[in-house]
Amino acid sequence: MRRLISISILLLAVLLVLPGVLSAVGGGYWFRVTTTIGVFSILTMSANLITGTTGLMSLGHAGFYGIGAYTTALLATKLHWPFFLTLPVAGVVTAVFGILLALPTMRLIGIYFAVATLGLGEIIHVTLLNWVDFTRGPMGISAIPGISLDGLFSASDITNYYAVAIIALLAALVLGRLTHSYYGNALRAVREDDQCAASMGLNVVGLKIQSFAFACFFAGVAGGLWAHTTGYISPGDFRFSESILILAMMVVGGLGSIPGAVLGAVILLGLPEVLRPIGDYRMIVVGAVMFFSILFLPRGLLGETSVLSVVRRQFGLAWDRTLNLGWRQ
Amino acid sequence: MFDVFFVQQLVNGLSIGLIYALMAIGFTLIFGVLNVVNFAHGEVYMIGAFAGLLAITQLAPPLFAVILVALAFGALAGFGLERIAFRPFRRFRDEASLKSKAIREATLLSSLAVSIIVRELAEKIFGSNMQSIPQEYLLLKPIEIGPLSFANGQFLIFGLSIVMLGGLQWLLKHTRVGLSIRAVANNPMGAAYVGINTERTIIATFVIGSTLGAIAGLIVGLYQGAIFPAMGFAPGVKAFVAMVMGGLSSIGGAVVCALILGMAEAITTSFFAQGWGDLVAYLFLVITLVFFPTGLFGGGRERV
Repeated sequence: MRRLISISILLLAVLLVLPGVLSAVGGGYWFRVTTTIGVFSILTMSANLITGTTGLMSLGHAGFYGIGAYTTALLATKLHWPFFLTLPVAGVVTAVFGILLALPTMRLIGIYFAVATLGLGEIIHVTLLNWVDFTRGPMGISAIPGISLDGLFSASDITNYYAVAIIALLAALVLGRLTHSYYGNALRAVREDDQCAASMGLNVVGLKIQSFAFACFFAGVAGGLWAHTTGYISPGDFRFSESILILAMMVVGGLGSIPGAVLGAVILLGLPEVLRPIGDYRMIVVGAVMFFSILFLPRGLLGETSVLSVVRRQFGLAWDRTLNLGWRQ
Repeated sequence: MFDVFFVQQLVNGLSIGLIYALMAIGFTLIFGVLNVVNFAHGEVYMIGAFAGLLAITQLAPPLFAVILVALAFGALAGFGLERIAFRPFRRFRDEASLKSKAIREATLLSSLAVSIIVRELAEKIFGSNMQSIPQEYLLLKPIEIGPLSFANGQFLIFGLSIVMLGGLQWLLKHTRVGLSIRAVANNPMGAAYVGINTERTIIATFVIGSTLGAIAGLIVGLYQGAIFPAMGFAPGVKAFVAMVMGGLSSIGGAVVCALILGMAEAITTSFFAQGWGDLVAYLFLVITLVFFPTGLFGGGRERV
């Protein structure tokens, strides 16, 4: 019952209250800010699966986001596919690329994995920038059709908002179920000690590849949403600094926590908007927030354990001790 | 095959490779002592270039003095970096936590955060565009030797790198500071037990590594005529690649791999468009990590 109430409050807030408030304060601009926050929430939640739950620090997430965005943009502008086809295809294509690119790096751990993914992200960025025949290079792709369906709704800020909000909710649901299950426990075992996990019979490499594929799928979908909602993409949107932004959101919100990921996106993208005068200093704020949260809040604002207890209190179903199921502390 | 153009490219690659080597040594020293990656090393490189540029525009001293200014600022940057981004995370003194995964990742993130802050501040102060450098300081005067044409900057790079590499070897092998750096790199606890001041040694390592990086930044800025706040990122990554290829704790290996990397890049850019040159380093990195996880010249090391 309490679970139903919590979920309906969440849905009500995201689907009715927030758009209402946004239209009341003047629409347009604030809808775009919220849409960006939504896209980055999806990205951060997906990166959280790799970094927070499986414990592999990825510094190349923006590259996979870029693959998704370019897949969507090319399908929508060259082949005129509608959004309900481009988004899943972008996710699948990105997941396939993620698996192919990540296969060689899977046996690396710690900072070696981090730097290898940095290399992968940069390889993707350099390719997007220089493969002019295919990606139009630094000019980027413009005039990407928005999210519309003939006869039902047309492309507008509100449509974009709802598309991003619904997909973000779906992503939170899927990633939440994934991490708070036996499967998620296996991923956490890999994070805590991969050699121990392997000796207990877990297929460590398989688990790493699977979590990478899931995360890349959602990163690709987020990239597709970004392409459809902004209408213009260029390789500059998928640089290393965006990977850092995603990492900072994760660190601030708390590694391994899905509400934390959303909170991190809201803080790091929302603060510069609210504090208009310091808007120019956005990346400095990102750096400073990241530095101080590592120093003073190593678990982030909503660290995994505290979030788990909150979730268990609020939703308490799959984690019920008496059911002998799922994640137990 | 060995036409003039090719040899010219090889020489260009060699001079860039020496710059990567100077940076890679900074990485290697710090990695050897603390087992952490210093992501802000590229920003030290940028600070060196900007300190030199400021000295040039404000005082217009001879080149030798400009190099000394960059050296001083590099040392200062290294000291500050250690204080801000690394010291606060060394809360425990035992070896297990000094080399633990948590500390590595925390300092990786904190040095990354510091590097973002420094770079963005530099962009706010100087603008993100390339700075204009007075003509007489640009190291691009051509010197013709037979059919080959070199820039005077290349000679400076060769001379200075060899002096600095030799000086570093002397410092590490024949001075007390060098001895304590090697001791701490080998075994921090043991070094502490025999009375070496580990904290001071760590600071010395950062200062030495950062001065090498700052000098590299200054010379490259004057040689390529490009000084801008984000200049440190690409050389930083390439120096890291050289360190990994060289086997992490081997200074000689890092230098050799940096030279290979510089020449491979120069050859790539002579066959493909300029932009693809950056790809070489990343491909080398991934290939090294996958096929030679202990580096090309590395001895034993723990799991990667």
